[in-house]
Amino acid sequence: MRDGQIFSARLNNVVTTEREFDELVAKSLPELLDRATGQTKRFLRETNQWGDDITHEKLALRWGYELVERFVVFGRTEVPCRPFFLLDSLIAKSFSQPDPLCYHKELLTPVGRFLDGLASRAVVSRDALIALFYHFYGFSQAHVVKLLGFGQAESQRVYKNFERWRQTGWQRTMNETGLSGSEIEVLEQELRTKPDHLNHEVDRLMPVLQSHYRKSEPEHYPCLSEQKWGQLFHDDYGHDYRVWHLAFCRDCFLEVADRRQAEVSSGLKPQVNLHIHPLKKGGVLALFGGDRGGRHHGNTRAHRLSRTSA
Amino acid sequence: METPELTDYRAHLLDALDDQPRRAGEERPEFLQVLVNHERVGTLNCAHTDPSFTYSARERSIQHLEIRNESGVLVGGCVAPEAGQKSVRVPIGKGSVAIEVQNHFDGGSLKLQYAAAPGWWSNLASSIGFSSATSSPTAATTPVWTMTTAFAQIVLAVGVVALLAERVPNWLNAEDRAHQLEEELAARQSTQEQIDRVHQQLAQLVEAQAAAVAVSRSEQDRIAQLNALVDTVALAQQKLNTQVVSVQEDLKTVKTDVAQEVETGLRVAVNTVEADRELVRQDLKSIKSVNETLIKQVALLESRNRELHARLALTSLEVTKANAAPKPAVVAKGDLPKETPMATPVADGIREADRQAFMFWVAFQDGTTEKSIEDLVQELNGIKKGPMKSGWYSVEVNLPNPEPPDRFLESVKRAKIVKSVVTSKAMPPAQ
Repeated sequence: MRDGQIFSARLNNVVTTEREFDELVAKSLPELLDRATGQTKRFLRETNQWGDDITHEKLALRWGYELVERFVVFGRTEVPCRPFFLLDSLIAKSFSQPDPLCYHKELLTPVGRFLDGLASRAVVSRDALIALFYHFYGFSQAHVVKLLGFGQAESQRVYKNFERWRQTGWQRTMNETGLSGSEIEVLEQELRTKPDHLNHEVDRLMPVLQSHYRKSEPEHYPCLSEQKWGQLFHDDYGHDYRVWHLAFCRDCFLEVADRRQAEVSSGLKPQVNLHIHPLKKGGVLALFGGDRGGRHHGNTRAHRLSRTSA
Repeated sequence: METPELTDYRAHLLDALDDQPRRAGEERPEFLQVLVNHERVGTLNCAHTDPSFTYSARERSIQHLEIRNESGVLVGGCVAPEAGQKSVRVPIGKGSVAIEVQNHFDGGSLKLQYAAAPGWWSNLASSIGFSSATSSPTAATTPVWTMTTAFAQIVLAVGVVALLAERVPNWLNAEDRAHQLEEELAARQSTQEQIDRVHQQLAQLVEAQAAAVAVSRSEQDRIAQLNALVDTVALAQQKLNTQVVSVQEDLKTVKTDVAQEVETGLRVAVNTVEADRELVRQDLKSIKSVNETLIKQVALLESRNRELHARLALTSLEVTKANAAPKPAVVAKGDLPKETPMATPVADGIREADRQAFMFWVAFQDGTTEKSIEDLVQELNGIKKGPMKSGWYSVEVNLPNPEPPDRFLESVKRAKIVKSVVTSKAMPPAQ
């Protein structure tokens, strides 16, 4: 307690060197996180988005964490500074932007938080971005490569670090989103028992979620018409565009997937098909709509596509 | 709210924050993701021959810049002012990225330049004073230092070559070594002298280097001061711009308010005037209707008046006839006034009625005195009724006998002072 007070006092004083800043910040992370969390709570209350429950508390902690992470990195370039003042200004600047939080009441359910965590991570991580195709639609590497019309070099480039997502990235994302192991188990259970219900829920929430995170899209990445998509694939350009936009736009994804069914070697219509955990290496993959959450129904086909796919 | 789940989550986030520097450093930078205001705007390929990235933003200035590696870990970045310039160098892995942000109020531009860490040879070369022009960022700013270093290198090289030139032939010709001992000693002596000279030159060079370094440091300090000054000026300008904008907005607001007030006042005044005008119009209408009623009443009264005149004239004629017919009887019976006590009062009553009924209007010649007028009235046994109106006098007379009023008036007209006579009883004749 006394240490906390000492650090709080020091965080109000001027820090003159980068080294001093790093040392002080490293020792004051709890105070900084609490301050950022408190400011986030205040913002949520003032915008009538606060609920007095553990979900909102977790949301505030998550946003406080992201603000402190930026502060730790940006702060070194602002020395000399008063750390608390700098953190406050950084928070104020973040919250003064339009729609800083992806807040929607229905995204506070376990499945909403799961989707939100994946999408917010995909905005900054290429590993998470490419993994969206699997978590949302059940597309493996082979499917995605064919759907996006990538060659071998492009495929290796976008999937080269996918193993990292499988090993640590997914778990870290879940941890940072605040989804506990029991909540993930409940989701898995629901996906096994009521796959249609859960997929319907995902299908309903995806536009809300994607419209928020797609704002991260550069200005020159709008939705394209069917004709322009066709031209883009025919002329073989815009590879980054395909990955980014199709991962974050359900309508365009379904349209392109429908159009390119022949290339993807599937006769079934593509649809939302939630997967909670990342695909195990060498696992059995499911094609469009044939498998819901890894569970096989009736005589739907399951294809072993690739043992080395992500 | 404190629950074990929340506490665990908080502890986990603190661990992640604590682990952030390690995670940022563990991945070798190859493709760096560039995010401006939390929007991904492109990638910086650090393996490229020219690892640079430029971006221009429209509408919004570049306020948050994040540099993340492919797995999404935040490895660098900065916040920039809404308007103005910001230049920083952030370490990324073993290299660094130079960030230059130039902002204005409706957009901004960004330039990133990745510089890989120098290799072991570069470090070694720099440690012995051999620095290449490309790897030394201070070379351009300290030409004196560079020239001095180059000169020192040349002198050292010449010294080494001279020594080698002296010694190598000796090493090659070992058999003649004894014979050449003296020459070698002499050569060594001369070499020693050369070395001493080189040492002296080196000492001079070291002094020159120290002076150059001092000059360079003072120049760097000045540049830093200038940068600080420029930042201060930029901040002041930014504040001034903000104030100008706010003042302009205030002026606009005030103008709008005044215009609205004037408009409201005008509207109220116009409404009031309109209401007054309507009231006046209604009053005029009512007055007009009253006037018309009065005109009708006056016309009615005039017509009644004419009727009364006609009746009066008729009655006068009848009375005259009546007076004319019984006169002999009255004269014959003049001796018996007491036998017919009722007849005389009736006749007198008629005469009295006749006398009282005749009134006329008379105008006199100019210069007629009031006394002459009074005399004439007395002579006529008349009475002036009311004051003079527009030169006309109303006179009521007792006619001496039942003669017609016309004849009486003719007699009046014959008077010298009389100018005109009329019989209107209602009002004086208009001039």
